[in-house]
Amino acid sequence: MMDKKPLFEEDKFFLSRRKFMAIGAAFVATLALPVAWFSNKLARRNDYIKARSAGLYQDDMIAKQRVSHANSAVEKYYAEFGGEPLGHKSHDLLHTHFVDRTKLKS
Amino acid sequence: MSSTQHDTRPILKHPLNVRVFHYILLLTFLPLAATGLLLFFKPLSQNAMQLTYDIHMIAGVGLTLNAVLFTLLAFDRVVLFIARVFSFSERDVKWFMVLGGYPQKFLLGKTVPIPPMNKYNSGQKLFGACVLIGGALLIVSGFVLWLIPHAAPRDMVWGLGQIHLVAGLVLTAFLPIHLFLAVYRFDDFKAMMLHGKVPYHDAAQYTPLWVEKEIVAVKQQPAEAAKN
Repeated sequence: MMDKKPLFEEDKFFLSRRKFMAIGAAFVATLALPVAWFSNKLARRNDYIKARSAGLYQDDMIAKQRVSHANSAVEKYYAEFGGEPLGHKSHDLLHTHFVDRTKLKS
Repeated sequence: MSSTQHDTRPILKHPLNVRVFHYILLLTFLPLAATGLLLFFKPLSQNAMQLTYDIHMIAGVGLTLNAVLFTLLAFDRVVLFIARVFSFSERDVKWFMVLGGYPQKFLLGKTVPIPPMNKYNSGQKLFGACVLIGGALLIVSGFVLWLIPHAAPRDMVWGLGQIHLVAGLVLTAFLPIHLFLAVYRFDDFKAMMLHGKVPYHDAAQYTPLWVEKEIVAVKQQPAEAAKN
């Protein structure tokens, strides 16, 4: 019997146009609002890093000593004890060695 | 005895676009549920888990394309579906009070009166709402977890992971119930899987409000009318 063409179907207009548009708009808004909110969060995800970076630059601008090799304590260390930068004694005292401490799960 | 008991005149219940959507949903959700459980419990080897992951991604993209295209191409069906599954009345409370009469029928062999239902009964409406909300959550969270887990805010990714897990488990838990009751309502099952039509007596028995309020005679084409 189901080879036959249907004799009945749903009335396509059982929902009023006003209700159809209201539900359609609510559906689209429900999908669009979280997407907009998420896009905003994604776009602003690095704001705190940028703010921190700007703060460091600002500190740098007003600092009395802006480069490490002009640091008076470092100058004094080389003059009175360490010899020259990258020298043998400084290398032994100040440089460290790499040790691989990575623990892989697989 | 009802006068509609043997009325086999066909009513178009599930149009072709809905059936195609349902088939693709079936073919994508089943592997997603199976691979999702495997990804959660991780019982397989590294290579097998990688294959499981790949299948999950491919099926997820398929399900998403299906949902997006159906929403765009059959927006009216989506709106009607939303209108139906989010409608609520005293009849739904009464239906849930007896759970549609199914436990009494299956466990005690008794038939209890149930309130008249529209196109979907209250259980189907609850399931439909869960599929709609849960499906949207699964798609959105799945894509964030897959494509931009390192770019999205950390806490949000964790939250979306939990949402993906809960929504996936809830919909997967619904699946055996849905399959069992779908086969039990065999005329409706054939309509969804094959030709889209249910006999009048089946619709009048299970969905009397739908028949009463929303069903109209198909308008004959002029050529057909001339033949008759």
